[in-house]
Amino acid sequence: MRRLIATTLMLLGLAPVAQTQAQDTFRFTAIPDEDQTRLVERFQKVADYLADTLDVDVEYVPVKSYSAAVSAFRNDQVQLAWFGGLSGVQARRLVPGSQALAQGVEDAAFHSYFIANADTGIAADQDQLPESLEGHSFTFGAKTSTSGRLMPEYYLRERFGEAPESLFSRVGFSGDHTRTIALVESGTYDVGAVNYSVWNAAVEAGRVDTDKVHVVWETPAYPDYQWTIRGDVDEHFGDGFTDRVRQALLGMTDPDLLESFPRQGFIPVSNDAYAPIETVGEDLGLLR
Amino acid sequence: MAEPTAPGMLHGDSPGLRLARRSLVLVALCIVLLPFADLSVVAHDPWAELSRMATGLALPHWRELSSPLQAIGLTVSVALWGTLLGVLLGFPLALVFFRSRLVRTACAFVRAIHELFWALLFLQVFGFSAVTALAALAVPYAGIFAKVYAEILEQTPRDAADSLPPGVGRLSRFIYAELPLAWERLAAYTRYRFECSLRASVLLGFVGLPTLGFHLESAFREGHYHQAGALLWLFYLLIGTIGFWGHRRLLPLLTLGSLFLLGPWPHVDSGLLWRFVSHDLWPAPLLDGDWAGLMAWLGNIPDLGPAIGNTLLLGLMGTVGALIIALLLWPLASRHFGNPATRLGGRALLVGLRSTPELMLAFIFLLLLGPSMLPAWLALALHNGALIAFLAARHADNIEPGMPGLPAGGRYAYELLPRIYPGLLALVFYRAEVIIRETALLGMLGVATLGFHIDSSFQYLMFDQAFFLLLVTAGLNIAVDALARRYRPREVVMDDPCSR
Repeated sequence: MRRLIATTLMLLGLAPVAQTQAQDTFRFTAIPDEDQTRLVERFQKVADYLADTLDVDVEYVPVKSYSAAVSAFRNDQVQLAWFGGLSGVQARRLVPGSQALAQGVEDAAFHSYFIANADTGIAADQDQLPESLEGHSFTFGAKTSTSGRLMPEYYLRERFGEAPESLFSRVGFSGDHTRTIALVESGTYDVGAVNYSVWNAAVEAGRVDTDKVHVVWETPAYPDYQWTIRGDVDEHFGDGFTDRVRQALLGMTDPDLLESFPRQGFIPVSNDAYAPIETVGEDLGLLR
Repeated sequence: MAEPTAPGMLHGDSPGLRLARRSLVLVALCIVLLPFADLSVVAHDPWAELSRMATGLALPHWRELSSPLQAIGLTVSVALWGTLLGVLLGFPLALVFFRSRLVRTACAFVRAIHELFWALLFLQVFGFSAVTALAALAVPYAGIFAKVYAEILEQTPRDAADSLPPGVGRLSRFIYAELPLAWERLAAYTRYRFECSLRASVLLGFVGLPTLGFHLESAFREGHYHQAGALLWLFYLLIGTIGFWGHRRLLPLLTLGSLFLLGPWPHVDSGLLWRFVSHDLWPAPLLDGDWAGLMAWLGNIPDLGPAIGNTLLLGLMGTVGALIIALLLWPLASRHFGNPATRLGGRALLVGLRSTPELMLAFIFLLLLGPSMLPAWLALALHNGALIAFLAARHADNIEPGMPGLPAGGRYAYELLPRIYPGLLALVFYRAEVIIRETALLGMLGVATLGFHIDSSFQYLMFDQAFFLLLVTAGLNIAVDALARRYRPREVVMDDPCSR
């Protein structure tokens, strides 16, 4: 304990030296669910667009996980973030006054796919989650992914009335949608849950052998990704700043910019749209 | 623990027999517990993915890397300054190390938590900045330096200090009669630690600090194997050429220059820091004095028993596996065996195995063997075994064989192994605690170790739970370390392999 305090004091000692960053730069972060390569380069274009439209300095902060993005948002290290459904709820609960501004056109009705290795003999494209899933091995994506964990787990529990751990012979967390596809395709896991847009993109690009892995069931629609902004930005950047940011996001029509998310465009949204996600998160014990 | 061998065979009190008994007990214990480990093999068709990986490594796409030089620069800067800060914090502590139980305990505690977990803690306050990276290295390293420096200083010959006339001040005695004698070993150790910190600095990228590991992990996770291959080669190259760019004369220059790469420094909000330390880390019911609530809070902690069991079992299996791998592999890199070509290949293999992050090894085995403890076991055993084999080969190279004309098998069994075995076993025992720490990182295999739950708690932003589990892990590591120290061969001088 004393060590912790000493460490803290040591770091506090460093703090004054550390304060050289400009205070009124508007910072945002975004983690797309596919293709995180060249993130900085690609999002620099988005930063430039926002800087031009909003007439403030804008900086993109690269972040590796949703939990890290939420922490950065909570600590005011970023003021605007492109969150997943669950991480957005986490962030808004931690930062009172923050609000969801806009979601992707696709995000109003997002889906997850349950995919299965062909060797399992589970038929493709069924109307409901088949009984035959039971006893197979199963992998989610990242632990706090809305489309790779939260909603699939919700529908599993709804259908079978038990926890995934007792339903499947083994439950893993691949950490990423692309990896979920690879692991189910290779038969390492029998079944997996994956973001539908990542799956579709991978199939289109020919990165999946659909003879080896196929979609078993598509979940009903739920709301997913959204831009969330802190409640105190108007104080720092002037009255009406929140609305200007919203307009800037809605007005983003350049396909080159939208490709990074990847979305066709952005539409307005409010916090209330994510109430279902919040309820599910609480029920599953991922939120408290 | 019952002896697995016939009575009479291993009786006696010579050091060699004692080592043999300890090794066999360790192996026997592992075999007895093996049925409790989850070791199923399920693999259908890993070859498509594995061949994609292999092509990626064979045909790296250098052009697709975005700003690799910057990532390398940051990796080196973080390693340099993390080590330097660790020295600055650790050296004063070393001077009082054997006099203060508090300092010893505190150092054991900060050592017991993996750099990556320190990074996850500091991340919550300092964001993705160099402060997080430096603190994540400097804090555990301070504990390591304090301990190792103190041990080195203690072993310094006393003659010079004793011959000083009475009345010489403590400081003068230290500076003129003790420090110069220990200087070379202190410097050698510090240098060694720097090499370790370089690897750690890369790994910090796995949690999001933009070092080489950041890009490597992204590319690997998303299956961009041509990029991952290029980054992995860069990493091997960086480690392999450390002797050239990390020259003694060049280091001060590098250190100063790298200061400019670490910025921009974040604005650190002390209120935020205080909130994290005084509020976020502690269970809310505890802060409110609500004891019933605290019981409920404890009830929500994921199954601690199986997690500790899995962690210890995997740690034991990893340790025994590392021992076996080390015994098999060390001749590959030793001058007593093979020809120059095989030795070069052997050394490359060992350096490759010990430099490749365990997470990647584990993923390859996951594809090959399916999800279970097995991939984690193999990854830990290969990585640590290769590391120990490398050092054992170096030991062996210093030995001049006294019986010329023995065949290779005889040289191995009768000449060299008996002489290097105490050192090798000491390294394995030393490494046991590190292996326990590393089990924490392999949660993706669906093996619920303590580290798996710590990672989940951080993801769910339940920092109080993460902190509690970290304390449990630290306690476990300290216990294992104490046990390993009790049984490790005392007769040998340690050659530290990045172990603490």
